[in-house]
Amino acid sequence: MGLREYVIRRVFQLILTLWTLVTLLFILFRMVPGDPTSRFVMDYPSDAERQARIEELGLNEPLYIQYIEYMGQLLQGEFGDSAHYRQPVSEIIFPLFLNTIVLMFTALIIAYTVGILFGAAMGWFRGSRFERVGIIATLVARASPEFWIGIILVWIFVFQLGLFPRSGIGGYGGELTMNFVDRYINFDFLRHLILPALTGAIVYLATPALLMRNTMLEVLKADFVEIKQAEGLPERTVLYKHAARNSILPLVTVAAIATGAAMGGSVIIETVFNWPGVGREMVASVSRNDYPVAMAAFLLMGTSVIVMNFVADILYLYLDPRVKYE
Amino acid sequence: MSHDTTTEGTDTASEGADTISRRRLRWERRLAALRNWAGILKADRLGQIGIAILAFFLFVGIFARPITVEFGSAWFQIQPFSLAPHESSARVADESLAPPSREHPLGTTSLGRDVYSQVIIGTRVTLIVGTIAAFMAVFIGANVGIISAYYGGWTEDILMRITDVVYGVPFLPFAIALVFILGASLVNVIAAIVLILWRGTARVVRSQVLSHKQRPYVESARAIGASDFRIMYVQIMPNVLPLITLYAAFAVAWAVIAEASLSFLGLGPPGMISWGEIIYDARSAGALREAWWWVFPAGVCIMLFVMSVFFIGRSLEKVVNPDLRHTQ
Amino acid sequence: MTLLTIDGLQMYYRSDDGYVRAADDINLELESGQTLGLVGESGSGKTTIARSIIRLLPDNAEVIDGSIDFDGTEVTDLSDRELRKQIRWREVSMIPQNAMNGFDPVYTVGQQIVQAIRYHEKETSKREARDRARDLFDELGIEPDRIDDYPHQFSGGMAQRAMIALALCLEPRLILADEPTTALDVVIQDRILQTIKRMQAEIDSAMILITHDISVVSETADRIAVCYGGRIVEQADSATIIKNPRHPYTLGLRNAFPDIGDEDDDLISIPGTPPELVDPGEGCRFAPRCPFAEEECWEETPKPEEYGDGHIVRCHRADEADLLREQATEKATWDGMRDKVRQSISRGED
Repeated sequence: MGLREYVIRRVFQLILTLWTLVTLLFILFRMVPGDPTSRFVMDYPSDAERQARIEELGLNEPLYIQYIEYMGQLLQGEFGDSAHYRQPVSEIIFPLFLNTIVLMFTALIIAYTVGILFGAAMGWFRGSRFERVGIIATLVARASPEFWIGIILVWIFVFQLGLFPRSGIGGYGGELTMNFVDRYINFDFLRHLILPALTGAIVYLATPALLMRNTMLEVLKADFVEIKQAEGLPERTVLYKHAARNSILPLVTVAAIATGAAMGGSVIIETVFNWPGVGREMVASVSRNDYPVAMAAFLLMGTSVIVMNFVADILYLYLDPRVKYE
Repeated sequence: MSHDTTTEGTDTASEGADTISRRRLRWERRLAALRNWAGILKADRLGQIGIAILAFFLFVGIFARPITVEFGSAWFQIQPFSLAPHESSARVADESLAPPSREHPLGTTSLGRDVYSQVIIGTRVTLIVGTIAAFMAVFIGANVGIISAYYGGWTEDILMRITDVVYGVPFLPFAIALVFILGASLVNVIAAIVLILWRGTARVVRSQVLSHKQRPYVESARAIGASDFRIMYVQIMPNVLPLITLYAAFAVAWAVIAEASLSFLGLGPPGMISWGEIIYDARSAGALREAWWWVFPAGVCIMLFVMSVFFIGRSLEKVVNPDLRHTQ
Repeated sequence: MTLLTIDGLQMYYRSDDGYVRAADDINLELESGQTLGLVGESGSGKTTIARSIIRLLPDNAEVIDGSIDFDGTEVTDLSDRELRKQIRWREVSMIPQNAMNGFDPVYTVGQQIVQAIRYHEKETSKREARDRARDLFDELGIEPDRIDDYPHQFSGGMAQRAMIALALCLEPRLILADEPTTALDVVIQDRILQTIKRMQAEIDSAMILITHDISVVSETADRIAVCYGGRIVEQADSATIIKNPRHPYTLGLRNAFPDIGDEDDDLISIPGTPPELVDPGEGCRFAPRCPFAEEECWEETPKPEEYGDGHIVRCHRADEADLLREQATEKATWDGMRDKVRQSISRGED
């Protein structure tokens, strides 16, 4: 099979998976006992208006028609109305999603930069005390749930040292309509970002560090490392251009998958630090029965996971010439 | 380890001398694998530490409070000891948020409950959720993996597409949604964890079985007319069992973290105190800042428990993948 | 002209149990353009000797004593940087056993050859370097366009040719070929060996051919050095080693490969296992496996002695060579040894 066919088949699979997720979500939230309309449509000033909205959303139709309507809505990027915010969900959820993305990307960039360098060093200094202590430290970090690391950081840096704010996102005061630059490019935002991002970084660090170390050990055994040394190339070139470059391959895919997973795993960190993102919003909206918001949040997180898994597969194809399209 | 008991029950062959000796052979092989692990463990300090910590938690979990069994109106106390001095929800002090004292080694909560007792009793939920969820997830995953690899064709296609979809489901949000919709209970918490956690085992077991399927021993078993069921579970299964055990160990770790996270969000099994819930309570009471004794013991316990499982997993990994033995 | 002189080299590996004497008191000379065969079983030190020339050794390797003179340069005195810039690849290149693993899988073969050329010849443009790689491919019988292929796209024999191209791209004066054909199937082996010889003659470089198979070097090498237990036990020109060996180990090796022995068709292997190189003590290291070992052999390390025109042997009984040679072709000689070895092993277990 050629590259083209593989990619096409994979795109087809992606669509299928997304469709299944959406369907799963539909079923999951229709399993809720009680009158669904009360959870999917907010209270309007008059019953007539409310009824109109129910009909507009098709909530009075039989289930299969509702399902078709729901799919149609999604394709137009509409998620229904939020009973809590009294706004269309899409207006609320996308700015929140952006907050999540900013937080998680920061965390992941730190985690993968530090993790790769740290893991490569552990592989390079194999058998040393540095490596042993490094592995234990990584395992300990990995053994800690996100909330626990978050609480420790808060306890040290907020309660004891008073260096950073406890929670929130900074001075824009919940104004979601502010433009990107005003929202994210300021010192106050940075101060709010540091602790949650650090929490995420510590949690996500273990995977790249351990993986990098293991693949480095594997790669350093390969004959070509020795040949490159025999060629007289500087140690730096051998280590980075050849050994690390080979070790990094599996990490690229893992990083892509982790990015997706991080969007779905942001729930805890956002809750600990009251970060206004999709994860925290999902917990909040579920507990206040605001299901359209919960569904939208879930959908965004699930889509991130699926799309990033897809990206991982495709990236791998381009990075490793040896991959055969199964 | 309950390592070796699962396949034995499926062996329904007659008790001829031949089967007995073959059965003994199989047992010996498994014993050898176990001894192999013991040998590795001897040189593996982290593995030893892991086992010691796990054994400690197991001890604490069993003896936390007396265990009674009811038969109709009669009840028997099968475990009379109690490490925890108080019930987890008993109000034992007038003073709320008291720092550690001789009477309450880990202080009290805002409702005047004994934190020390709560932490001890909380071990139980961790053990229950960790073992049951991990066992079920690995059971499902291993079966999906074996069946899809063994039968191939459309069976494999369907099962693997399902696995792909599950890989697309974000773990925690799914668990939150499920527990919220179905209601918070021990069963639902475990169900939410299991429904996601099986995916990894399924993929790995599948690829292992695919390679075993081609080997001569499977061919010859098929030639003498062994049933598919027998080939899958008597011939192939024991060979992937070490790998399954390894995944079970990691599944325990993820299950415990997931349970703690759900409890931290206030979605844990109601009526049962768990480590995650202790921290949730402290946080809801707004006591994170002043009551360190309320927060830290539970957090340290979660960390230690998961760590011990990781350490054991690492030493199991060396059995599964002998190449790793030389690297630290 | 003498290209390489190794004099009294002691190259040990540090280990938890003490030094592993991987190369002990090595003396070698190599004329430019000549081929030297280094023969021995694995662990005999042949690879260590060759690699110490470019110091391509594990971190725990240590030069205890001796010198390695490469064309007037004392290699052991060079800094890592000097070694890299002056010796490695520019003067001494290497062909590994498995070429497929010798290339970095994520770059094309052409990229890797160009990188090697351009690192050592800064003034060469990328285009010139590529052209040179193409020419080399052409000469080695590979389609020149294949320099843009990745290593995994080559077959085993092709990859080995590509590796030869990489090894020759700077026209080095010495090539270290470490079992260059062992990984290939028999039909191709010979052709690759011929190719190496042809190219070597063309650029007039010397070669050290490392092998466990004495029949490989008998036709290719000008001189042969036989390694055992970290020492060179016998060296001479190829014809002498094949026709008039004096060391019992060489006699045994010759038996193991019947095509170069005399009329005797029986394959006779040498009983026993290679010696432990940690703290081996005094005495000839081959003594435990030697059917001709005497009291003296166990107690005193034999010194290298010359028996006519560059034929150097380390054996107390080398002057009785005619007698030994005759006995060594008898299967019974070695079989008797086999029983002795077995006895000593079972004794060791008690």
